[in-house]
Amino acid sequence: MNDEILFAREDEMEALNIAQDDGVDSQKYLIFMAGHLKLGVVAEDVVEILNNQVITYLPMVPGYIRGIINMRGLMIPILDICSRMGMPSREEDNLVVVINLGDVQLGILVDGVDQMLDIPKENIHPLPANSTQMLVSGMCSLPDGSGTMMVLDCEQLAPHD
Amino acid sequence: MGSGNEILDMYIYETGTLLEQLETIVLEAEKADTFSQENVNEIFRIMHTIKGSSAMMEFDTLATVAHRIEDMFFIIREGTMSVVSEDNRPALFDVVFQSIDFFRGEVEKVEAGEPLNKDIDTFLTNINTLISKIKGEEVPEPAPAPAPKAAAPAPAAPAPAAGSGDYPCRLRVNFEEGCGMESLRAFMLVTSVRDVCGETADFAFEPSNVETDPSTSEIIIEQGFLMMFKTEEERKAAISVVTGAGSVQGYEPIDYHAPAPAPAPAAPAAEPAASAAPAPAAKAAAPAAQQQQQHSKETLISVNLSKLDLLSAVVGEIVITESMVTSSPDLKGLALDAFSKSARQLRKLTDELQDVSMSLRMVPVSGTFQKMNRIVRDMTKKLNRPAKLTLIGEDTEVDKTIVDSIGDPIMHMIRNSMDHGIEETQEERIAAGKNPVGEIILSARDTGSEVIIEIIDDGRGVNDDAVLAKAIRQGIASPDAEYSHKEILSFLLAPGFSTNTEVTEFSGRGVGMDVVKRGVEELGGTVSISSQLGKGMTTTIRIPLTMAIMDGMEVAVGDSIFTIPINNIQSTMKVTSGEVIHDSSSGEIIKCQGSFVPIVRAKDLYQLQNGCTEIEDGVLIWLEAGDHSYCLFVDELLGQQQVVVKQLPAYVNSFNVKNYGINGCTLRSDGSISIILDVASLYTAARGM
Repeated sequence: MNDEILFAREDEMEALNIAQDDGVDSQKYLIFMAGHLKLGVVAEDVVEILNNQVITYLPMVPGYIRGIINMRGLMIPILDICSRMGMPSREEDNLVVVINLGDVQLGILVDGVDQMLDIPKENIHPLPANSTQMLVSGMCSLPDGSGTMMVLDCEQLAPHD
Repeated sequence: MGSGNEILDMYIYETGTLLEQLETIVLEAEKADTFSQENVNEIFRIMHTIKGSSAMMEFDTLATVAHRIEDMFFIIREGTMSVVSEDNRPALFDVVFQSIDFFRGEVEKVEAGEPLNKDIDTFLTNINTLISKIKGEEVPEPAPAPAPKAAAPAPAAPAPAAGSGDYPCRLRVNFEEGCGMESLRAFMLVTSVRDVCGETADFAFEPSNVETDPSTSEIIIEQGFLMMFKTEEERKAAISVVTGAGSVQGYEPIDYHAPAPAPAPAAPAAEPAASAAPAPAAKAAAPAAQQQQQHSKETLISVNLSKLDLLSAVVGEIVITESMVTSSPDLKGLALDAFSKSARQLRKLTDELQDVSMSLRMVPVSGTFQKMNRIVRDMTKKLNRPAKLTLIGEDTEVDKTIVDSIGDPIMHMIRNSMDHGIEETQEERIAAGKNPVGEIILSARDTGSEVIIEIIDDGRGVNDDAVLAKAIRQGIASPDAEYSHKEILSFLLAPGFSTNTEVTEFSGRGVGMDVVKRGVEELGGTVSISSQLGKGMTTTIRIPLTMAIMDGMEVAVGDSIFTIPINNIQSTMKVTSGEVIHDSSSGEIIKCQGSFVPIVRAKDLYQLQNGCTEIEDGVLIWLEAGDHSYCLFVDELLGQQQVVVKQLPAYVNSFNVKNYGINGCTLRSDGSISIILDVASLYTAARGM
């Protein structure tokens, strides 16, 4: 089902692309749902979206790491984004967004993929100063009025030394 | 710029190989305190090649230095080693070593894309002083440097001179003005002409040393490049080649008639003044060596390691896919005779493929070992402690990645042995009844599953009390506890430990030994030290032969599947709860063949949700690794499997799972993932809980 949405969106994007080519500084985001949130990641960083993966449980890691998957011979760690952001973790694991994090790849477990969207940079606003959410670097109201997107700060997902 | 980079890569690779060769020769020569004529020829050839290729790449400083050294060895070759007096020999060796270091440094800069060191004057002066010293001693042969220059073209000249009558059909080729590297272009022409006329084609060209001497470019610019053929047909073929070649401005067929003084052959004899002079002479000596090199070039190719990595990864996948196909559940219950036959054939071939791809990556350790000679030599001089290095088992082959990474640990240990091991004075050694010259033995041997590298010195050995006192001072050891000899030695490998209070140039930065340990552990190996006070110290490094493939036992615990290296497994057993002994701290112990070993339950250690809790339902695997011996309790054994080891993602490793015995993972035949356990760190983790 998600595939259909994606393909549809990509077609729409082409139309959007043409519209956006007139010098507005914008970036393309992939928006997905996690719990009650809409999160966005820079589309360039998205490697692929995988369905129905068998996740191998890995002991001795924080609970938000569900395990690893085998993506064509590559081992990809799977991060439960809800659990990582302090929301209740999900039971059904079937949709993984694989993103590039510098030289490592990371799979993010999500509830569903919403859409792909070009967003002008000036539309992305900083978080309220008192926000304690470390993983989000900005937010933006979606033009179709469907809610607010939080920009996921992929850098923060990387392991800390 | 793709092709340009390839040429640069080739240059870096070739120069590196030549320098290694040179270093080996010089180290051996220094032991004998003389260069054999063979060595001198070889050095001459190496310097000549470096000079030529550096000039071609327009690294002028390198070419200049190589040129001066070449000059120096030219004198030595003409007058044999006897021209260098005993007093000058150490200086000669030092200059050659310095030049090796200089070239290495510069090539590294080239590799890193940094600007080259332009200031080579002091170094050149050094060489020049040495040359004049050598010449100063050499009274009977006046002015050797200019003399060979004048004489050099002489032996080369007869060839074209004699040939001129034999090759009546000539062709003069002019290159476009300012196209650069004329000598190289000329040589390429020669090669193409040879291709067209066949290998046996008999023709000459002038200047004849375009291949080796870039300075012939000037002659070619001034006089054109002259090719001489026996027959008109050959010349016609050559003309077709020349017209097709790039940067050629034009050509002019000339017929040779009278044996009149041919301007071309005479001119080069006078023209190539300073820099070109030794080249023709080198030609005379080099052919044999060059031919040999060309032969070996045909059978050896250098391949980028990343390509081999890719190959072994793909082969690993093929092996897995093959078993996925042949043991597919869809085939169950079908009688497929022909299929099974082909499948068996396929398995045989994939096994073979795997063996071959593994063997591609195996290289002897000799290269790494040879480098240690140099370190011992330098330190012997600096510290004034005579010592020799004995190499054993240099031809032991290990995975290329291992060879690359063991260099630093070995170097650290050798330095350590020189700095802390070997006694400071010869008197001290004589008093202890030892040979005044210290000995360090570096050995490698292959046990089938792992390679064992030992660094043995016959120095002072480790002073337990000093080490313990130091460990207590560093806060690594507790002052109240009693430590065994073994435990004290293990402090040496602890981070931040260094027994030498002074920081020396070579070792004692306080980071040495734990760097060794970490480096080796990254390769999946172990380091252990044994020592006898007054007798010396032995460091043993054990590294699995290849990191990519291993034999493992797959076991199930709850929903998880783990793979245990077969090398660590002693035996497996089923026991009843009655046989399990409980100690005071509710630990479980079992008696295996007369010894008591603790039981570690994988389910509890890894906090798995499912899995057997009753000891009767599962299986005990008796494991041994290093000093650890214990039984791991798992649900069931799934069978033995050859697995391709994959590293865990760096992201996962950042949570230090390796400390809990989670060392890697592997793909099972059905595409699912099994976690590879490290037996030693698993036990450490279990004990720490």
